[in-house]
Amino acid sequence: MFEEFLEDIAQKNGLRQINTYLKLAGGTGAILLCLLSSSYIAPLFIAVLLTFGILFLARVDAKTYAGLFIYPFWFALMSVAGLILIYGGGTVFWSWHPTVWLSLSITRESINQGFFVFSRIIGGMSAVCFIALTTPMTDIFVVMRRCRVPGFVIDLAMIIYRTIFILMDQVRQIYYAQVMRLGYSTWRESIHSFAAMCGAAFIASWDAGDDLIRAMDARCYDGKFALLGENRPVEMRPFLALCAFLLAASAVVFASQGMTLL
Amino acid sequence: MSRIVLEARDIRYRYPRGREAIRGISFHIRRGEKIALVGPNGAGKSTLLQMFNGMIRPDSGMMLFDNEPIRYNTSSLRQIRKRVGFVLQNPDRQIIAPTVYQDVAFGPVNLGYDEPAIREAVAVGLRHVGLEGFERRPPHQLSGGEKKRVAIAGVLSMDPDVLVFDEPTSGLDPSGSEDLMELLDELNHDGKTIVISTHDVELAYPWADWVILLLEGRILQEDVPDVAFGNPEYVRMAHLSVPTLLDLSVELGKRGFALPGRKPRSVLDMIDIIENLLHGSCRNPAPGTISVCNVDEEATSSLSAWVKTRPGLAVGAMGTRAKQRASQEQLTLEFTYGVIDKCILRALRGQDSLILTTGSMVGRVAVRVEAYCRESGNIISVVSMSTAEQPPVTGLMDEEVRQNDHPH
Repeated sequence: MFEEFLEDIAQKNGLRQINTYLKLAGGTGAILLCLLSSSYIAPLFIAVLLTFGILFLARVDAKTYAGLFIYPFWFALMSVAGLILIYGGGTVFWSWHPTVWLSLSITRESINQGFFVFSRIIGGMSAVCFIALTTPMTDIFVVMRRCRVPGFVIDLAMIIYRTIFILMDQVRQIYYAQVMRLGYSTWRESIHSFAAMCGAAFIASWDAGDDLIRAMDARCYDGKFALLGENRPVEMRPFLALCAFLLAASAVVFASQGMTLL
Repeated sequence: MSRIVLEARDIRYRYPRGREAIRGISFHIRRGEKIALVGPNGAGKSTLLQMFNGMIRPDSGMMLFDNEPIRYNTSSLRQIRKRVGFVLQNPDRQIIAPTVYQDVAFGPVNLGYDEPAIREAVAVGLRHVGLEGFERRPPHQLSGGEKKRVAIAGVLSMDPDVLVFDEPTSGLDPSGSEDLMELLDELNHDGKTIVISTHDVELAYPWADWVILLLEGRILQEDVPDVAFGNPEYVRMAHLSVPTLLDLSVELGKRGFALPGRKPRSVLDMIDIIENLLHGSCRNPAPGTISVCNVDEEATSSLSAWVKTRPGLAVGAMGTRAKQRASQEQLTLEFTYGVIDKCILRALRGQDSLILTTGSMVGRVAVRVEAYCRESGNIISVVSMSTAEQPPVTGLMDEEVRQNDHPH
């Protein structure tokens, strides 16, 4: 129930010290290129490069990365299977008409389209994973302020961020206390225990809120939240690596225009 | 005698719809003192502490800071909270921000410091608690002891005159507790007045200058530790126990041994008493030497090399920076708390030791050892590491080495 948080991995990843803007530019650039590409090749190329970056540069454990990828992967696979059966056009390889109003077929065009969408999902997912695994929230707050997000939104986000971990810790303790006393032994008992846990977590968070106000008052709170930390400077090697990645990906997008699987 | 910094005059407080937590308390705290509020759970310790920085306003009576009554308007409260720093029992409840830097900067930012001043305040706070390099870490990834240190740094960054700690060692392992008490000593040495609440008598007895025993919202007794804990009836009433050293000395007294008037506060005091009882027969004729190294001045290479040339030398570190330096140089520390006393004990056995410490604490070693020698009549020499170039030539250690070299 309580696996390691993505945030914890991001805090310890090998690219932690790289400038946040560079990492965000890499991630968002990859997503845009996946969307711009008209072929399945470029998104797969991007996915391969980013996966390499995540595993070997950010040094994220392969098992963790695979675990993170598996759910969207199955989701994409099922969606694409549906798409292939419904989408039409081109040579028909297989078709089935169970009723008058439903006709399923697999055609050249549907396979091309399905594989294209699938590769886009994989490319996009790897870009999102890249950002999530290399850029912790604490660094994103700095970018948010620089992007002129209103101060109270950032302050709230920071308090929520800090409180989530405390609350999760309390939920974890309550959960274990319940498990130890066989709280989840039957289905009925599970429902009851889960409800009790939610209630206890609510009261705990209410208390934590009270304490938070007191802690802030004790430290002269005057409407200003803590100053944000500094971003790391842009270094030459990561900058060149980013440029090379975006240029290579753009070149592949350009060169593979209109290429299809079949 | 130093000035009074905090004073309570017949204060009372009742929680809304609850019992009366404070029932008429008066006391005063002087600048630079180390005070322990000791009492069982529910005695009113935490409530009383929260009155020190205006978090709780007494229903009647008066709290004074620097001989001025505390006023409870916003600007006065800001001022008092800047000067009286409060460290809560649970650091998770005190740390607000998502990174260590932001949390330590919270106070200075709200006090309106400019950016360079904030950086400086954060650097000072983190240096004091030995967490330099932790700036970007999120608090949930820190250990209990580190969180406690972040909470303390957050308060230190506002440079308060008085530091108030509610149960400072709760949730810490013994070594973490010792480190923390050492940090409190260091802060006190830097001129801060320290007030702690605790129900750990073994912790309060050797540490405090003055002890206030609380029971059911009233002061049961306040005095120097050996008197405050010396009354078995009061100690029993307060659901506490007599500190072991005090108990031992009382038991020796009851058996007819002639003991000095001053009660032992440390193992060193106790050893002295026992040696005097035995007329010094177990005293080593050639006491060891205590070398002192100022880690701010000593070059990195020379320190570990110096230690390597002296096998059998015990190394102790006083202060956070000294401990960091020892860990950088992979020196095994034998003492991290009560270092001077432990080195004196070693010297009395004829063995040598080295104390790593920083700037202002260097003098403290010499002063403490000199005071001990004057009182006990022993002679122990304290030398600066840089002047003690030659390996020591006296003491048991060398005898042991010789015996090992010539077993027959």
